[in-house]
Amino acid sequence: MTKLLLRFALPLALLLGLAAPAASSAALNVYAAASLRDVFTQIDATPAFNFLGSNQLQLQIERGAPADVFAGASTVEAQALFKTNHCKRPVTFATNKLVLLVPKGNPGKIRSVYSLRAGGKRLSIGNAGVPVGAYTRALLRRLGLSKVLKNNIVSQETNVANVVSKVALGSADAGFAYVTDGKIAGDRVQAIRLPRYAQPPVRYQICQVVRDGVNAGGAGSFIAKVRSSRGRSRLKAAGFGLPPKG
Amino acid sequence: MSTLAEHDALQASAPPIASGGSGVPAPVAPTGRTAGASRRVGRVGMAALIALCVGLTLTFLALPIVALFTEVPLADVPGLLGDRTVQDALGVTLRANLVANLLIILLGTPTAYVLATRRFRGRALVITLVELPLVLPPAVAGIGLLAAFGVAGLLGPDLQDAGIVLPFSEWAVILAVTFVASPFYMRQAITAFEGVDRTFVDAARTLGAGPIRTFWRIWMPLSAAGLVAGWVLAFARGIGEFGATIVFAGNVGGKTQTLTLAVYEELDSNFDVALAIGILLVVLSAGVLLSYKLIVSWRDSTSQSVSPFGRSRSTSS
Repeated sequence: MTKLLLRFALPLALLLGLAAPAASSAALNVYAAASLRDVFTQIDATPAFNFLGSNQLQLQIERGAPADVFAGASTVEAQALFKTNHCKRPVTFATNKLVLLVPKGNPGKIRSVYSLRAGGKRLSIGNAGVPVGAYTRALLRRLGLSKVLKNNIVSQETNVANVVSKVALGSADAGFAYVTDGKIAGDRVQAIRLPRYAQPPVRYQICQVVRDGVNAGGAGSFIAKVRSSRGRSRLKAAGFGLPPKG
Repeated sequence: MSTLAEHDALQASAPPIASGGSGVPAPVAPTGRTAGASRRVGRVGMAALIALCVGLTLTFLALPIVALFTEVPLADVPGLLGDRTVQDALGVTLRANLVANLLIILLGTPTAYVLATRRFRGRALVITLVELPLVLPPAVAGIGLLAAFGVAGLLGPDLQDAGIVLPFSEWAVILAVTFVASPFYMRQAITAFEGVDRTFVDAARTLGAGPIRTFWRIWMPLSAAGLVAGWVLAFARGIGEFGATIVFAGNVGGKTQTLTLAVYEELDSNFDVALAIGILLVVLSAGVLLSYKLIVSWRDSTSQSVSPFGRSRSTSS
């Protein structure tokens, strides 16, 4: 019997033992919008990051995901989390602008956003739920170009990173993303500027998550790092706009 | 618990042999009457442990399925499935799988036949190539398809000159499904062809049947059940295809958004719709698997009737 126990139960116990620490680690978990991937890892590479669409992250946090910090690409998600007491009062730490990305060499021959009016192009955009998708729709509405989502072939992506990769790989003739994404994707894509008057205000908000066992100290110092002069200069270098210091 | 206590008592009464310097008696193989009792205890313990494993396994596997069905009121499911997104996705899924399965069967059957009947240098390598999509991560398959057929891919410029642009088109979904699902059919087909009794083939040929006639009258009927079983598995894999599709074909509503892609998207916006699609897919997959089981049992019974001594079934009826 002891032998049996040793043979079967011990490996099982070992397995469970291995699984346990992963669940209860006291590391800092930062849930951040996909467009923040590069700049956040530059500011501080030590936390465990989860980069997705801000709306997906909001959903995960509402369902009890072990996040300590949330940083979204719009005010919608952070404010919703704040209202339902899932996070402390959010602060704006960066702004961004939309651009139209096209693959290197511009195979779709797109000169400006108005080239999309003709239709028949392959477009990559965020879906209506993710901030970049909501901004894209707002921008097109202001330009009176909402029609382009009907007469072009539109692939709906769950976060901005997927929009960019569809353009970078040439699957899409064009995609709406942030100006900061154009910088990251480098020479695989070209960015076409969009009329300034149509730009929606893109504001990034960060907050400390409220939950049992939250790493409040780590969260506070990460948020401070992002808002510090060094954090601001990194954000600026990456192409983000900055809110007045305060 | 009583068995454990009994076991301890038996352990204690067993003659201790040299146990090192630790002072703890080392477990030794008991002898005689004690051994018999210990074996019985071992058997009971073993049975309990096995029962525990079986219970855990089945509960673990069943729980997510049950949860899918309890999370959303079943009466609402038909309404949720009437959603435009779901209808479009269902259409894309069925159309793409239909064409993909046709491609797999039309091109795969002769290939499998050759691989099953010919012995040549590098055959193992070719079979590995055929089976590779089985173990390839689907996302990697998607990137591979992009690198081959994408606009900037290997064949991209040539395809574009011919006026064919695959990404974001229904053909991209078809290619993705064909790529990942084909090994399921091919493997079964090769096995089925290999299992055909050559005496029938030789008999047909000596009776004057040409190779084509022999293929249709001997090879196909004798491996039909295996081929159908393979097709059912390929179909099931195709319905569930996700990774290669989202990477290669994109997520275009009504064009490349399959049911699995719709589940993924609706998860963010409408959890109930996602659950309803989930239920639909569970029912579909379970149905496919069940028909696979039925086909396999049918094959076992037919292969018996083909064997020289298996005629009793037809004569007794």
